[in-house]
Amino acid sequence: MGRRRHLADAAGALPEAIAALSRSLPAGPSPEIFRRAKFDRPEAAPALWRLLFRVLSLLRADRASASRAPEAQARWVKAALRAQGYPRLGLARLPEDGSQGSRELLLALAWLLAREPLPERLLAQTRVRLGDEMPVCECGALASPGQPAPRVDTAGPVDVRRLQWLMGKLRFRWRNLMASQQEQCALLGKIHAYTRGCHGDRSLGHLSVAETELLRDPEGGRQLLQRLESENARLEAALEWRRRELVFWQWMDTVLGACPPEASQPTFPPRLRGRGRRAGAWGPVAWELQALQEELQAAVGARRAAWAARVGGQGPEWSAARQAAQEAVGRELAALRQAWARGGGRAQPHRPHRLVRTEAGGPGGPGLRAAEVIGVLRSREACLEEMLCQLQEQCRQQLARLAGALPGLIWIPPPRR
Amino acid sequence: MLPLGCSRRLVAELQDALDTCAERQRQLEQSLRVSRRLLRAWEPAETPTPEPTPGPETNEEAPSPACTPSPQDLKELELLTQALQKAVHVRKGISKAGERDNASSLKSGSIATSATTAAAPHRASQTKLPRGTRQATRPAKGLPKPRLLSAGDQTCAGRGPLAAKPGPGLRDPQKAPSAAPQAPEAFTLKEKGTLLQLPMAFRKAASQNSCLWAQLSSTQTSDSMDATTSSKTQFLQKMQVTSGWPSSRLSAAEVEAEVGRLQKACSLLRLRMEEELTRDPTDWMQEYRGLLTLEGLQAIVGQCLHRLRELQAEVVEQQLGPWPEERPPMASLPCGGGADPTWSPQLLLYSSTQELQTLAALRLRVDMLDQQIHLEKVLMAELLPLVSMQEPLGAPQLALCRAVHSLLCEGGQRFLTILRDEPAD
Repeated sequence: MGRRRHLADAAGALPEAIAALSRSLPAGPSPEIFRRAKFDRPEAAPALWRLLFRVLSLLRADRASASRAPEAQARWVKAALRAQGYPRLGLARLPEDGSQGSRELLLALAWLLAREPLPERLLAQTRVRLGDEMPVCECGALASPGQPAPRVDTAGPVDVRRLQWLMGKLRFRWRNLMASQQEQCALLGKIHAYTRGCHGDRSLGHLSVAETELLRDPEGGRQLLQRLESENARLEAALEWRRRELVFWQWMDTVLGACPPEASQPTFPPRLRGRGRRAGAWGPVAWELQALQEELQAAVGARRAAWAARVGGQGPEWSAARQAAQEAVGRELAALRQAWARGGGRAQPHRPHRLVRTEAGGPGGPGLRAAEVIGVLRSREACLEEMLCQLQEQCRQQLARLAGALPGLIWIPPPRR
Repeated sequence: MLPLGCSRRLVAELQDALDTCAERQRQLEQSLRVSRRLLRAWEPAETPTPEPTPGPETNEEAPSPACTPSPQDLKELELLTQALQKAVHVRKGISKAGERDNASSLKSGSIATSATTAAAPHRASQTKLPRGTRQATRPAKGLPKPRLLSAGDQTCAGRGPLAAKPGPGLRDPQKAPSAAPQAPEAFTLKEKGTLLQLPMAFRKAASQNSCLWAQLSSTQTSDSMDATTSSKTQFLQKMQVTSGWPSSRLSAAEVEAEVGRLQKACSLLRLRMEEELTRDPTDWMQEYRGLLTLEGLQAIVGQCLHRLRELQAEVVEQQLGPWPEERPPMASLPCGGGADPTWSPQLLLYSSTQELQTLAALRLRVDMLDQQIHLEKVLMAELLPLVSMQEPLGAPQLALCRAVHSLLCEGGQRFLTILRDEPAD
């Protein structure tokens, strides 16, 4: 009796859990789709393709792919999953027209859910922002790491003057950005000052642009309210999902059990054309490391020689001191390695902060002070300027060496600022 | 002309940088538009007014009037209000709502406002007024409309068709339209910004929102769900075991992450090297340590290069199997707080516009420097080999040298001069 009740409970809990999951995700399908997917029914496939596409494109912040046809979407989903390291080959073999494979897709969704808190992450990305925010983290918002998107429109080879022109254009844009940014800050300051005392929340004290805008424009305000309310609904669904998800995982176990195990993949002969495509992304890193290695080699060589000439007096205290020195340096270098290993900058505040105007010298509540952030930024600016100067100096030296090798010419550098 | 591959890559990089700037500029301009509009005089249609808070809900006195009319007007309005009150009393009888209504309308009545601006309003807005159950409770959910309208309604009711219907009727759209149009005083944030108040519905939704987020982030950290976590891990393992793809291979995302780490390693190592090279050892011990450090750095750099080559080989090998060739471009992680779902609202306090401007300018400068350094490295990697390779001293080659020098060493802003030193014949 108890067992039957337990089963009945479980039977009821599962659809509720899936329903909660569905509500917390964007474009979530009904629990019925999930059930059909377990039995690999074809009609469940399109909904799952759409869901995966939506989820993955949100995760990768890839807006460009929004308007693709279903087949293109399916291909994109496969590539994106593969890039994340999705292990099952069954997904790759699915036809892209959405006619079958719902069980495989269900497994893919579960895989994504198991690896990270998916609903929360998606919600955080599409979060309704009520305040005026400024990012505080150290990610370069302008610098794009990795390869830039390949462009199809580049014609043939260009002259170096085109590069100069593009650089000039870039500098101009930077100046514009700076001016616009200053104006925006002035306006923000005014708006914050003029609406002092209006916010219900004492720690905030004044309204943000979004809030003032909602007062000015009731239609926009209604929309904002709607978005807030739907986000609240999704948040509640996510909380419910967290409470109930165990039963989902137990069920997924059965789904996985129902699949036949995949044959391990036969080895393919390596395709040569893959090589060239990747080379571009590695160029700068490899080049830098090699340059660094050469410089170190030269420096070490010189110092070794100098040291060998100096060393005398090989007493017993010498070897003890040498040992100590080696250990100390070893520790220091190990600590240095930690700096780029998996820890990195994760601990730092990574989210944008809401701007709040306070009285100068006031007690101020919890929150980061602008003065501190300014200090940090100044030191970072100095560091980066230093790095840029060094790079430029490196180039200057290298070019000077070249110039030296070409007799009969006088190189007159531009006057230093 | 530069070689084809080099041209393509460099143009792509520069164009990418330009696009990022353009995008940021676009966003800034959008915010600027909104902010400028807020600071101008608001359309009379949108004039907000202070919300005479409903009695039962809060005891706050309604904030002072939106604008101060002349004493004459004030008197007139007061008389009008009193007359209205009587009318309301008579009509409504003694009902709780009615009383409260009067109480609040009294208060609002005493807030003399330029009734016309209130009068000008929107019937439309009137109809949308309180969908809520309590008529006494002020402003509509989500309707941040001029609260004073209701007050105005009552004060103006005398002018228009006497819409002195009980309670809600007073806010009946039928009202006081076009009464004597005194020059409507437009609302500006500067003068009357402190009188604004957010609508109740919005405040509720916002506080619920932050409450829910707090709950969500606490469930993240509490981790009282060991059963769930272990079943998830089990599921992942089982999936790996039953799949056909060997688990030792790194995914593209992991490879990119590692390349990023190696890049960071390179800069840190270089910094350390510079530090060591500029240091002047005062005794032999320091000299020895310096030597050891440099040798250690050299070893690490060697290891990094080796790892990079391993990754390269791995990636090439992975270009096989039934997966599609298309590789979605690895978008840089959106740093808009998306990475960290545990959210508790963080504040950044500033005390003056000057400070805010400095902060924003520094941020922008840091971002720009980041971009500049990245471009510098890319340009160095592509252009220096070109310049060092070719021998002939022809004019085009020299022009190239000059251009490269300017791009790499002066940020494209200044140029050097090359003179041919011909011995006089």
